Amino acid sequence: MSVIATYRLTKVFPGGVRAVDGVDFEVNAGEIFGFLGPNGAGKTTTIKMLNTLIRPTLGTATVAGFDVVKNPSEVRKRIGYVAQDVGVDEHATGRENLTLYGHFYRLDSKIIKQRVKEIFELVGLTGSEDRMVSTYSGGMRKRLDIAMGLIHQPDILFLDEPTVGLDPQTRIHIWDYIRNLTKTVGVTIFLTTHYMEEADRLANRIAIIDFGKIMVMGTPDELKRSIGGDVVALSPCVDKDDECKEFIRRTESVLSGRPFVIGTKAADSELAVYVNDGESAIPNIMQLLSSQGIEVKTISMARPSLDDVFLKYTGHTIRAQEGTRTTFAQILRKRNKRQ
Amino acid sequence: MIINAVADTWFLVLRDLRVRIRMPMFIAMSLFQPVLWLVLFTQIFKSLGNMPGLGGSSYLQFFAPGVVVMTVLFGSAFAGFGMLMDIDMGILSKMLATPVTRVSIITGRITATVMVLIIQALIVFIIAVIMGVHLATGVPGMLFALFLAALLGLGFAAFSNGLALLLRRQETVMVITNFYTMPLMFLSSMMMPGAVLPGWLNTARHFNPVDYAIVGVRDLVLTGYVWSDLWRSVVVLSGWAAAGVAFGMLMFRARAE
Repeated sequence: MSVIATYRLTKVFPGGVRAVDGVDFEVNAGEIFGFLGPNGAGKTTTIKMLNTLIRPTLGTATVAGFDVVKNPSEVRKRIGYVAQDVGVDEHATGRENLTLYGHFYRLDSKIIKQRVKEIFELVGLTGSEDRMVSTYSGGMRKRLDIAMGLIHQPDILFLDEPTVGLDPQTRIHIWDYIRNLTKTVGVTIFLTTHYMEEADRLANRIAIIDFGKIMVMGTPDELKRSIGGDVVALSPCVDKDDECKEFIRRTESVLSGRPFVIGTKAADSELAVYVNDGESAIPNIMQLLSSQGIEVKTISMARPSLDDVFLKYTGHTIRAQEGTRTTFAQILRKRNKRQ
Repeated sequence: MIINAVADTWFLVLRDLRVRIRMPMFIAMSLFQPVLWLVLFTQIFKSLGNMPGLGGSSYLQFFAPGVVVMTVLFGSAFAGFGMLMDIDMGILSKMLATPVTRVSIITGRITATVMVLIIQALIVFIIAVIMGVHLATGVPGMLFALFLAALLGLGFAAFSNGLALLLRRQETVMVITNFYTMPLMFLSSMMMPGAVLPGWLNTARHFNPVDYAIVGVRDLVLTGYVWSDLWRSVVVLSGWAAAGVAFGMLMFRARAE
């Protein structure tokens, strides 16, 4: 049974930017569905259309059985939203933050009290209920943020880049909590991320989104299998200059079309070669290239990762486009977290 | 629906008030300025005490109502910064994804601001009385004066929130707020009676809602229930409050949803 279904969902912002360009997908009850893509791919815009914060320009979306445009208030009752910015009130305690949201969802004070206790336990914050959020660490804030999206036992939880800006150790903790949620609470999770590992570890199914379009969709295993056996990554140069690009282009032309090569994909300073059997392919590759006078600086072999999947379906690596506008408040917040 | 809006407004008012109570420094600082004006500024103009336009009273007596209004003006004109913080921190969009009644997000903020302003104005009144200011209309008149001040504050608080939603940047809102608050203060009879102001300024003040609050509050403190002034203050300030709230709501509709 699908709890989210979109049909040609599109958002065109003033100025003509097509942030989301006709996406179709379904999310099944109880699964973790991952939207994977670089910054600016349209992930947050999609989430904001699904949780009624912005109206689609074209197309439709049904969330928890209700149309997001025709029936936004019914949708809001059934979803929890955990935005990329940690939207918790620093000048209040954890309990006060949660209680306020309980009231927004029209829960009875008695029920709120009980839920607060349960949810603090669930996200591992028991004992910190009555501390000011300004004394929380970054990871604790994120967990409170997630808790605020769960107070009303929603059908669907939207997590927009849940671990962005957190240190690796905290990130792994948050992953554990998220994985636990589907098991203990039975909530369906729609998650966006630009971390391959996060999508790989958490999501049952993944949609890769780039420039507002879904490039490919499937389970992480299906996607990796679609690439073939092994990936041999080789680099004929060290610097990312034009000479290097020329080297890569020549290397690609030598290798593509060979019987043992399934496909190739060129990136900034390396070439990914998809082969059935990496061990036997490497000597072949080396021989071919040296006969053409191409000197290989490094070579490595790996099972396909989501990075390779991403590269194959989008033609670039996800690291390419980083850097977003930082507001003064974000800087302040980061500074507070460090203290 | 209305019950939900009132309930949500109340929860948001509580949230706002809680923050302020936890920052006693903030309250102390916001009262420091009015006290400074009452204590020091009135000393500068002390020798004007016998000037005919002042109604035979001391300059402190004349100026105290102005300080009450000034406290309200500055408190309310910067009210939008709370909204800006909520926008920047992602609190606003997180709230909008819940079933919270939309209108309460703005009514909650404005209500909390006006409540705090009334308390601050009351404290200024009390300090003024302690310093020797005589209230011509006593406690009932002071309550009336607080009502006028609240109307002025309501208009500016709503306007400032609307500005915050429209511009969304701390820097811009700060510049614009500084740009209009000082002229509004000077283009009024706050420091000198209208009769002794230059003709153009005496005309200009009639287009300034702040002046209607000053005139009304001053009547109640210095003279008594001068209804010819007071009814005009009530009408103009009610209109100003309504316009401010309309602008705030409009911006919220246009920019937050």
